[in-house]
Amino acid sequence: MNRAEQALFNDKKMGFFIYLGVEAIMFAVLFATYLIFTPASNGPQPSEIFEAKTVILSSFFLLSSSGTLWLGERALKSEKQNIFLTGLGITMLFAIIFLGFEVYEFASFVREGHGMGVNVFMSSYYVLVGLHAAHVAFGIGWMAVLFVQYFRQIPLTLFTEKLSIFSYYWHFVDVVWVFIIGIVYLPYLL
Amino acid sequence: MKFTLFGVNIMLPSDVLAAWVFTLLLGAVVVFLVLKKKRLGLIWEYMVTTNHRKIGILYILFGIIYFFRAGLDALFIRTQLAFPNNDFWVFQGEKYNEVFTTHGTMMIFFVAMPLLLGLMNTVVPLQIGARDLAFPFLNAVGFWLFFFGSIFFNISFFLNMTPEIGWTGYAPLSTEQFTPGAGSDFYIFGLQISGLGTIFTALNLIVTIVRHRAPGMKMTRMPLFAWTSLITSFLILIAFTVLAIALYLLMFDRLFGAGFFSGTEGNPIYWQHLFWIFGHPEVYILALPAFGIFSDVISTFSRKRVFGYPIMVLSVALIGFLGFMVWAHHMFTVGLGPMANTFFAITTMLIAVPTGIKVFNWLFTMRLGVIRFTTPMLFSLGFIPSFVMGGVTGVMLSVSAADFQFHDTHFVVAHFHYVIIASTILGIFAGLYYWYPKITGYVLDEKLGRWHFWTFLIGFHLTFFPMHITGLEGMPRRVYTYDDSGGLAELNFMSTIGAFLMGVSMLFAIWNVYKTYKEGRKVGNDPWDGRTLEWSVASPAPEHTFDPMPVVEGIDSFWFAKSAGKKMPVTDQVRATPLEVQSILPFLIGSTLFFLSLGLTFSWYWLSILSAFILFTLLVVRSLKDEREDHYGRRK
Ligand code: HEM
Ligand SMILES: [Cu+2]
Repeated sequence: MNRAEQALFNDKKMGFFIYLGVEAIMFAVLFATYLIFTPASNGPQPSEIFEAKTVILSSFFLLSSSGTLWLGERALKSEKQNIFLTGLGITMLFAIIFLGFEVYEFASFVREGHGMGVNVFMSSYYVLVGLHAAHVAFGIGWMAVLFVQYFRQIPLTLFTEKLSIFSYYWHFVDVVWVFIIGIVYLPYLL
Repeated sequence: MKFTLFGVNIMLPSDVLAAWVFTLLLGAVVVFLVLKKKRLGLIWEYMVTTNHRKIGILYILFGIIYFFRAGLDALFIRTQLAFPNNDFWVFQGEKYNEVFTTHGTMMIFFVAMPLLLGLMNTVVPLQIGARDLAFPFLNAVGFWLFFFGSIFFNISFFLNMTPEIGWTGYAPLSTEQFTPGAGSDFYIFGLQISGLGTIFTALNLIVTIVRHRAPGMKMTRMPLFAWTSLITSFLILIAFTVLAIALYLLMFDRLFGAGFFSGTEGNPIYWQHLFWIFGHPEVYILALPAFGIFSDVISTFSRKRVFGYPIMVLSVALIGFLGFMVWAHHMFTVGLGPMANTFFAITTMLIAVPTGIKVFNWLFTMRLGVIRFTTPMLFSLGFIPSFVMGGVTGVMLSVSAADFQFHDTHFVVAHFHYVIIASTILGIFAGLYYWYPKITGYVLDEKLGRWHFWTFLIGFHLTFFPMHITGLEGMPRRVYTYDDSGGLAELNFMSTIGAFLMGVSMLFAIWNVYKTYKEGRKVGNDPWDGRTLEWSVASPAPEHTFDPMPVVEGIDSFWFAKSAGKKMPVTDQVRATPLEVQSILPFLIGSTLFFLSLGLTFSWYWLSILSAFILFTLLVVRSLKDEREDHYGRRK
């Protein structure tokens, strides 16, 4: 990276970190909403409906996808193209599996009659975890675009830049998930 | 009024019909003029631009248009309230609720915000020696989100589905049970889309101010407008994000059967908390940039450096910080308990301290200065006493026990118009007159400027001063009529006269713009004998500025170089310039959000899904068309 590229990248990095700050505030308000409204005075209770198995499995895939992304990024730096591609591919795969678990979880809640409007706990659960899942879905699309960019052979510095921005996003989404485990699920699974 | 169109029976109230007729006629005139003068190319140029000055012009243009629109609402309000037991046109009952809702919402979100963002867009880069905002493309996206959000809000009126929930959208009124029509959805999505744009612009301004200053332009040397823009941007990031989530939750309540704000378990007070955690900082988002404008204007026209520069910056930061700890002063009568009320009363009173410091510093800036009474300076001088009055009633309102008397009366209406109009609106006028040459290359006429100023100031006090008294007499806000007791009739009539006087004063402003355009006397770089960097570039500011790049050596460096008869030193050691592009994508991105919201509002989910799909496609196109590709070294 030359100096001009570095400067532009630093602009973008700063802008993106601010954006993640905005996202953090968004999630903070949703966590607050969840804490205020959970547990609800009637209707389904978190301790009745949450299943440890789904949470553990989905967490395993999402959290390790941060690791595979990190490995992939490192491989790109040391010009090991194949390892990089595998890393990004596994990250995407894990993200898709995670999303599958989320869809499964939501669908089974709805099937049991615990929809959005059943009580305030369910409402605040869906808007929070659902927004996070939407972020994962967006990330999957983003990774697909990254693959395209890679095979289009855009300038390598530019590609590295795009990859770093994505990885900030992805790690952020993971951190939010850690908070979701700690605040949404764990207190009612223990 | 009932009529049949294409075999469908349509029922439209006469005011909506009048709006259709008026808009269609005006639209026809505009289209005719555009075609006659062959200006389609110009419109296209602005649709694809990412240049900060042009985007600033767009913000200002639409801010002014909406100012007339929301001002018309104000005149309807005042005409309805002109006499006791009055029945003006249709504006009673629900119609009155609609008219104050659109008035308040538009004034805050679609008048004050875009005008300030427009000024920041045009001026801040020039003041700090940046060649553009850090992310020109994102800047355009921000504008078009504002644009489509505001259009979305506005079409509700033409469909006779105007929101009627006040600018505060209080639950449970705003939930589906009580306002089942689409009106509240127009409110939700209109604010959501435009608020997202505002967040992007704030982010952009922060990166610009932090990373794109000219060599030597330390933070501690920036003009105060740049400083207040920076601090305001931080407030926007927090406040508008909280609003976004509040609207997001309300959307789920209304459209998807969630129950956050109503029902047996939901809590309407939670909406109030979220709204005011946004809402109070919002009034500082409106006021602080105006403070910055006044500081620059007063210093220029007093031929003195602003008094107590570090204190000015610190007090703005302190106001911004305290602004987040006072929200519940809007909720004193909710019953949060004496502890909470006392806490919020005290924090509110504390804000008077930094604000007072600023007022004194403006006065000290003028003291012993060589004062020139130009129009921007007149607006600044009008601001000081008017704003202080609003501040005083603010401290009165902060006494939580007394607020039980003031709450929801016209006393509050008087208070917040005194602060908002005195700071934001007068500040915007001062800024527009002051920077008009930088934006267009012309100076506005001083004589008409004075007419504009005096009629506006007198009209303003005439409108709102009597409301203090009617409010203390117990006249409630948001109620469309009153009976003739306790001298309310005379006072209200005075208010109405004042409102029309303000209406007249805006005609002077328009006439001024027209006259200046017709006469077309171009001015040089520095018509006001200015102090800060923006006056070193050509008027209007060209697309490529600061070439060569000046080196700043202190506060008001341009002024000192000028006084010493020298030129500012220059350098070619310049950081990378933001990459400008021409692209229609920002416009298209904004429009997809418009249609997405339309689909959600009317449960046309196919439209939402289609728009969302197009939106993501556009994002992919954006990524593939990244202008950086051509500037970065190719891969071997
Ligand atoms: C230009 C002349 C203006 C006039 C004559 C005017 C008049 C009024 C009146 C009489 C009301 C109270 C309606 C009621 O409660 O029954 C009102 C409400 C309001 N005004 Fe203005 N106003 C003006 C300008 C502005 C400006 C510049 C702003 C902000 C930038 C503003 C913001 C508001 C807001 C937020 C409300 C509260 C709406 C609500 O209750 O939801 N107004 N205005
Ligand atoms: Cu407040």
